[in-house]
Amino acid sequence: MYDGRKIIPGLILFFGLVTYPVWHNLASGKLNYVPKPKLPADKKECVEPKEVIRINHKTLLEDWRNSVVRKAGKTYVAYNNKKYPMSLNRTCMSCHKDKTEFCDQCHNYAGVTNKCWDCHIYPKQLEEKQS
Amino acid sequence: MDFDRRGFLKVAGLTLLGLSVKPGWQVFSKEEPAEPSPGAETLARKRWGMGIYFRKCWKEEGCRDCIDACHRIHNVPDMGTLKEEIKWIWKAPYEKVFPEHEFEVTEEDYQQKPVMLLCNQCDNPPCIKYCPTRATWRREDGIVMMDFHRCIGCRYCMAGCPYGSRSFNWRDPRPFIKKVNLDFPTRTRGVVEKCNFCVERLAQGLIPACVEACKEKALVFGDLKDPKSEIREALKFRTLYQRMPELGTKPKIYYIL
Amino acid sequence: MVLTPRPLGIEHMLDKQTKIIGEDRVLFEHIWKTGKNFYITISILIALVLLGLYAYITQYLTGLTVTGLSRQIFWGVYITNFVFFIGISHAGTFISAVLRVLKAEWRRPISRLSELTTVFILMFGVGSVLIDLGRPDRMLYALRYANFQSPLLWDVCSIATYLTVSSISLYLALIPDIAMLRDLGGRGEWFYRILSLGWRGTEEEHHRLDKAIGFVSVLVIPVMITVHTVVSFVFAMTIQPLWHSGIFGPYFVVGAIFSGVASVIVVMAVLRKVYHLESYIKPIHFNNIGIFLMAMTLLWFYFTFAEYITVVYGNEPVHMAIFWSKISGKFAPLFWLHFTLCFVIPLPILAVRRFRTIRGTVIASISIVLGMWLERFVIIVPTLTRQRMPVQGAYYIPTWVEWSILAGCISLFMLLYALFTKVFPIVPVWEVREGREKAAATVAGRITSYMPETGAPKEQSHQVS
Repeated sequence: MYDGRKIIPGLILFFGLVTYPVWHNLASGKLNYVPKPKLPADKKECVEPKEVIRINHKTLLEDWRNSVVRKAGKTYVAYNNKKYPMSLNRTCMSCHKDKTEFCDQCHNYAGVTNKCWDCHIYPKQLEEKQS
Repeated sequence: MDFDRRGFLKVAGLTLLGLSVKPGWQVFSKEEPAEPSPGAETLARKRWGMGIYFRKCWKEEGCRDCIDACHRIHNVPDMGTLKEEIKWIWKAPYEKVFPEHEFEVTEEDYQQKPVMLLCNQCDNPPCIKYCPTRATWRREDGIVMMDFHRCIGCRYCMAGCPYGSRSFNWRDPRPFIKKVNLDFPTRTRGVVEKCNFCVERLAQGLIPACVEACKEKALVFGDLKDPKSEIREALKFRTLYQRMPELGTKPKIYYIL
Repeated sequence: MVLTPRPLGIEHMLDKQTKIIGEDRVLFEHIWKTGKNFYITISILIALVLLGLYAYITQYLTGLTVTGLSRQIFWGVYITNFVFFIGISHAGTFISAVLRVLKAEWRRPISRLSELTTVFILMFGVGSVLIDLGRPDRMLYALRYANFQSPLLWDVCSIATYLTVSSISLYLALIPDIAMLRDLGGRGEWFYRILSLGWRGTEEEHHRLDKAIGFVSVLVIPVMITVHTVVSFVFAMTIQPLWHSGIFGPYFVVGAIFSGVASVIVVMAVLRKVYHLESYIKPIHFNNIGIFLMAMTLLWFYFTFAEYITVVYGNEPVHMAIFWSKISGKFAPLFWLHFTLCFVIPLPILAVRRFRTIRGTVIASISIVLGMWLERFVIIVPTLTRQRMPVQGAYYIPTWVEWSILAGCISLFMLLYALFTKVFPIVPVWEVREGREKAAATVAGRITSYMPETGAPKEQSHQVS
């Protein structure tokens, strides 16, 4: 191979760098890490079934946001026909009190950033601020 | 069939022309194209308005009850400088608010007296047409709404408002809020904000915070479409002022002599 | 990209290259030769761009509070930059498209450098608005949730159209020159081969290209007028005093052509000097554009005068408060400085033949460019100090962030421009050659066709017997 002495080590270096996340996680044992969000102790029911809300909570919250802010529709009828206010704080956070123990567990793992908390204040945050 | 470059260009041109019909129509239509609003009809039955009694407001000098109440429950920050100040309701001297009133011979005792200023919630708002993203719009019940999620911070609405009712977050406001109210979000830097007629309180059947906080009951609020409401009673048979009515904005804040 | 023709030792290649370059070697030399001065200039420009970038990052991290803007005066240097840069972009269209439509042969050597000014500076016009946004991460919302009642959206549409059409115009006129560079061979040949789109230089291809360029040139002229009219509508459509004026549409277009043509003169002079293009860009070019610039100076004065005299005659208190702040108040120094730079200095230089040399025209042009930036500033900021609500103590002093970003934008423009001249010839070689070979005959034929018919009256084609 022309210039083989430069190309082959270069290729090895390149693939090594590119696959770094995989073998680093293997080596440090993090490959089997599964995020464990802390579920609320008392409440067993969410506005949607677990599988549905796990996938759709982003779209659900965006729909709620557009509805409350722009369209004046404020009540959400859940899959079990129960009525909930369309509110991040009053509905979601009333059960999942601390975002660092629930929301962030999966979001940090998946590398998801959301800007909800730039404006909205979760209950635990207020307690900390006032104490 | 032979479809050459010219033919393609013709079809593409016609398609583009067709696609531009809807936005073109939108430019010339007065109303916002309908985003189906479940409560639209209910909302349209009301028209919120506010009256401010001068003399009741002037009873206590230096009173700031309405300002403090509004800024407290809405997490309005105290930025500390005139440059960055954010205010939803504030005071200005009478002769600055109504410069068209003559002062040399009449109304001498009104000079320097404070007048409460806030967003006029106009029926014909000059600010909403400029927003490139429709982050501000007029709701069916008359309230000029702000969607902080959509605002891109271009400040064109601030240029549109002739009353100077809108403020901009020049930096992150959170460090400047004395006591955070959990029930209402703060805003981020880079968005415009203004008085929202306490929409969140109206949704719960409460009156705006400033109206409730005023000890002298100088602020009166209600549904202008309801002939028996408090605001309609207050506006009957009285001398009323409005800020710059000649602009055709149809403000909904009435100043009652 | 440095293209060095490598003869590869074959005689007929050398011969072919000589045939392509012909007598216009100097038009290609700035691509092949890079002197010390170029590297020094590039280094300075890169340093300024990095300064601008640092300033913007500071602003992005902290918020717009790092500028001098306030609740009262919320639009300042960035919006001035926006209007100013979009204004300068009218240069290319005027010199390239309008002169082409008017069949002015002297536009040949300068059409590409002015078109390039347009295309590159438009990006900074748009960039200035994006820099001004409070939430730039949401900038695409203007497209996703577009509200077509907003003049800003009209701006988006018209500037996008203008950028597209100008880029197409620039590219079309580049094709024959790219083909020439492709035929010269060398290391960068693959790049030019792709871009040349298989241009062979046949009669039919030239004919089609002329038609295409002609079409685009005619198309871009109404777009140019629309663009700055729509930019003026951002202000004119509000009800703010001294903004809400019907004259803003044509006023801004005239101001744009004015500042644009002046900036093209500066660009022409610089390129002529550093790339030794003296035999192509001649005093006659500066003289002709200088005369046009003089007409624009007078036209600009007319619009400014008409705008202010109507305000004075109306004597409405709200308008007069702002008027006096410009004439004798807070903004008087800036107002009279801009008037001097836009009118008092350029007019005598451009009007008197003896002063309308290359140096004179360039001095007048620099004065105009600076004056027009101030003119935009003086239109935007004083209205915001008063609006309709008298407020004490409203002042606006731009901070280092705003000046750095302005410097960064201008430097990046110059940097991109300089890099362009390292890849493509800045004087359109094929247009100059077309002028040299065919123009004299075409023009002579055209002039003959204007002349009245002479000699015996022709026989009637139908005879009444």
